[in-house]
Amino acid sequence: MADSMEQRTLNAYLQALFDTDKAAALKVIQESLDDGMAPEKVIFDIVVPGMERMIGGMISTDNLITLSQHFLASQIAEEVTDRLIPLFASAPEVQGHVVIGTSHGDFHGLGKKIVSGCLKARMFQVTDLGINVAPERFVEAALSANAQVIGISSMMIHTATGERGPKRVRQLLNEQGLEHKMRIIVGGAPYRFHDNLFREVGADAWADTAAEAPAVVARLVKELRS
Amino acid sequence: MTTGLDRFGALLTGATPDRVPIVCNLLDQGAGELGVSLKHYYSSGDLVAEGQVRLREKYGYDTLLGMFYSALEAEVLGCRNIVYADDGPPNVGHLAIGRPEDIGKLHVPDDLNDHPRFRQLTHCIRMLKQESQGRWPVLGVVTASFSLPSMLMGIGQWMDLFLNGDIQLRDRLLELCSQFCSRQITALREAGADLIVYVDPVASATFITPAKFRELALPWVIRDLEDPGPAGVVFFNGGGKINPILADLKEHTGIGAYYLNPYDDIAEARNILGPQALIAAAINDIRLIDWSPQEIDREVEGIMQAGKRAGGFAFGTLLMPFRIPEPNIRALVDAAIKHGSYGDGLP
Repeated sequence: MADSMEQRTLNAYLQALFDTDKAAALKVIQESLDDGMAPEKVIFDIVVPGMERMIGGMISTDNLITLSQHFLASQIAEEVTDRLIPLFASAPEVQGHVVIGTSHGDFHGLGKKIVSGCLKARMFQVTDLGINVAPERFVEAALSANAQVIGISSMMIHTATGERGPKRVRQLLNEQGLEHKMRIIVGGAPYRFHDNLFREVGADAWADTAAEAPAVVARLVKELRS
Repeated sequence: MTTGLDRFGALLTGATPDRVPIVCNLLDQGAGELGVSLKHYYSSGDLVAEGQVRLREKYGYDTLLGMFYSALEAEVLGCRNIVYADDGPPNVGHLAIGRPEDIGKLHVPDDLNDHPRFRQLTHCIRMLKQESQGRWPVLGVVTASFSLPSMLMGIGQWMDLFLNGDIQLRDRLLELCSQFCSRQITALREAGADLIVYVDPVASATFITPAKFRELALPWVIRDLEDPGPAGVVFFNGGGKINPILADLKEHTGIGAYYLNPYDDIAEARNILGPQALIAAAINDIRLIDWSPQEIDREVEGIMQAGKRAGGFAFGTLLMPFRIPEPNIRALVDAAIKHGSYGDGLP
C-alpha cells in the first residue's frame, strides 16, 4: 500500500517535471512531507529518481526530454536537497567534493547548474565557481576545499580546447604534483558532438548527460581512494 | 557560369540546379585571411566584408555571410562588455538584464543603425551585396525573440522566467525582443540581405517540448515575422533539433526554408514539410576539426545521398569552429561539389 502511494507520488512528481511546472512539483514534495514521509525518503525515493529518470531521458515512451526539463528537475533537486538535508535523522555520508565551473572565456552556465543539482542530490559537496573561471582558480579552489574532482563545463569549442581551458588545468595539476589527488571531468555541447574530445583536452572523464555525472564522479573518487 | 543565386533560385522554383548549393558558415576565419585580430576585424564592416569575400573565393561555396557575431545583438540592447578571444567568437561578458527591473529599462532603438556596431554590420551587408553582383545570396542573421533573452539575462534566468516566472514580465521582455527582431530583419533586408537566417535555439526540441513550443514560442515566431513578412526567411536550428516542431512552423508561420540540425532526419523533415520547402542539411562541423579528408568525403557523400533522395535541398554547416584546418574546409567543399552534382539529372 505504502509502495503504491510512493509510486503515485513519484508519478505525480514526474508529471510535474515533464510539464516543467515547478509549483506543481514543489506541491507534490510538500504534500509528501505533510503526509509524514521522512525527508530522506523524499530525497532518495522521489526527488533523485525523478531527477535521474527525467534527465536520463527514460520517462514513458516519449524520448523528447528537453534541456528545460533537465534544468527544472535539477533546480528542484538542488533546492529541496538543501532544504531537507538539515532535517535528516543522521547526517548523510558525503560522497566526495567537486569544484565546478565553466571554462575561461565561457559565459554559459546552464549545463554546470544542471550538473551541480544532480551532484548535490546524490550527496556530493559542490563548490560552484561560476562562469568564466581561470584555470588557476579551479586548482586553488580544489586545493582549498580538499576536493577530489574538478568539473569544467564548456559550451564552445574554443573554450573547451583553448589554452586557458581544461588543458591548462591538467598542466597545473601536473606542475604542482596534484595528479594523484585530483581528477578532471568535463562536459558541455562540444563533447557531445565529438566522442574523444575529453581526452584531447586532458580530462579523465566526461558525462553525456547531467544524470550520468554523479556515477562518473563517484568512479573518479573511488579511483583516488583505492 | 552558374552562380549560387541560380542554384537557390532553381530550388525555390522547383527546378533542379547543376549541383546542391553549399552554405559554408565561416565567420572568425575572415580575420585570419586578413591577418588581423578578431577584435580589430569586427570593428569594421569593410574588413568583415573583405574577409567574407576572400573566404568565398578561396573555397568556392555559394553564399556570402553578412554576420559579425551573435553577441552583437546584446550589444545593441545594452551589453557593455564583449569578451574577445584569439580563437573563437566574441562572447557576452555583461548581462544587460541583471535584475528583473532591468527589463523595464531595456531600450530598442527606433533606428538600429544609430548603434555604431550595427551600422558597421549593415555597411558590411551593403558591401557584400555590391560585391556579389547578383551571383551569391547575401545572408543576414537574426536571433528570434524567444531566444534573444538568453543573451540578455543568461539562459538559466530566462528559463526560470519563461517556465515559471511572472507572465507579464516575460511578455514585456518578449515584446521588446520581438520589436528588435522585426526591426533587425527590416534593417538587414534594406541593407541588401537576400535571405534572413532566423535563429531560434531555445524554441528547438532540444530545449523545450513541442507542447511548450506551441504554447510559448510559436506565437512569438509569428509575431517576429508579422511586420517584415516571412519571405526569404530561413528557420535555423541554432544547434537544437527542429524536426518535432516543423509541422507547427509550416502550418502557422509561412516560412518556406528550414535549416536542420545534424541529428535531424532529412527524409522525415521532407515528409513533414512537403515538396515545396527548401531544406538545408547540416554536417556536424565540430568533427571537421580532426576528421581526415577521406572521412569528410564519406560523411558528405552520406548527407548528399540522403538529401537528394529527399528532394531539392542545400548542404550546409552550423557555425564552423575557428580550429578547423584549412585543408579540411577545402575537403568539405570539394566533397560537396563532387557528391552534390545533379549530373544524372535526377533530384
